[in-house]
Amino acid sequence: MAYADYALWKTTPIADEPYLSIVIPAYNEEVRIVPTIGAIASHVAGMGFPWELIIADDGSRDQTVALVKDLGFANLRLLCAETNGGKGSAVRRGILAARGRYILFDDADNSTPIEELDKLLPALEQQGYDIAVGSRAAGGAEEAHRTLLRRTLSGGLRLMVHHLFRIGVRDTQCGFKLFTRAAAHRLYAAQTIDGFSFDLEILYLAARLGYRVAEVPVTWIDAPGSKVDTTREVQRFLRDLLRIKWNDLRGVYARA
Amino acid sequence: MALNTRALGNVSVLDLQGRFDAHIAPAVIEWYGRLPTAQVVVNLAGVTFMDSSALAALTGGMKRCRQRGGDMRLYALQQPVQVIFELTRMYRAFEIFATEAEAVASFTR
Repeated sequence: MAYADYALWKTTPIADEPYLSIVIPAYNEEVRIVPTIGAIASHVAGMGFPWELIIADDGSRDQTVALVKDLGFANLRLLCAETNGGKGSAVRRGILAARGRYILFDDADNSTPIEELDKLLPALEQQGYDIAVGSRAAGGAEEAHRTLLRRTLSGGLRLMVHHLFRIGVRDTQCGFKLFTRAAAHRLYAAQTIDGFSFDLEILYLAARLGYRVAEVPVTWIDAPGSKVDTTREVQRFLRDLLRIKWNDLRGVYARA
Repeated sequence: MALNTRALGNVSVLDLQGRFDAHIAPAVIEWYGRLPTAQVVVNLAGVTFMDSSALAALTGGMKRCRQRGGDMRLYALQQPVQVIFELTRMYRAFEIFATEAEAVASFTR
């Protein structure tokens, strides 16, 4: 792509509906957020369509908000929260504010390189899927620097999710998911979990509502400085599995 | 990520490929510690992404070279890295060149 595309994107507000919205949740990401925004803006600005970037801050107490504001990008929207509500709450705010025909949720650490978007888009544009999920478990995926503990836990949780929840997607937690706007707004409006397991709830709802979900193998690099406390998050994940089932039994999702 | 090193006369050259992040930064810092010269050229032609650890590793290396009477030059930044340098204002700290020949020649100016 030409540098001119990026320069135009960062200085000139798009006039039309965005073709793509990219939503990045951020909590105390002062170290990582700017390089990630740079990599995303550089790549996506050259893809030839109007797009917007949404940083959904989650009550950061560091310089994340100031750094993002300071960029002054014309097509970057910063959503601020006064308190830390959990990653799921930040993603929900970002998704529901997104105006794009397609909406990508992407992690702030760039652990799935933005170039992988090129693999997800055709599933929605050409193959009729409603959701394309970046996957570290699908054939052809590449993982780097992931610990044995995290791989083992992920494998166990995947089996549980598959058999107990009838979710066909093997990797529910990868922070790289593309939705049609209609699917994203409907699913995230019904989301009740604000913590780590919000992804699982979204995919559970997607299966329940009959959305077509593609699982696309992506490259994923475990970024150092991850804020995931594995043991604590596994406990939360198991608790949230029960909560999702309980919600469904109580009819919480019937209104979705 | 691949890391190769070579010498061009009194200039040490570091060739990097792929994603330059916190996984590779310690190896780069360790390489600085073994350098026989204080004149370093870093080839970023194959680098697609740099995080803050990588930026810190470059800055630390540059300071180390200057303390020893030399300097560090960068060349062949690809656009994503160029944008990251721009957003983090790192381009102010380094002399950046298009080619290796220009970067190496800058030490004899």
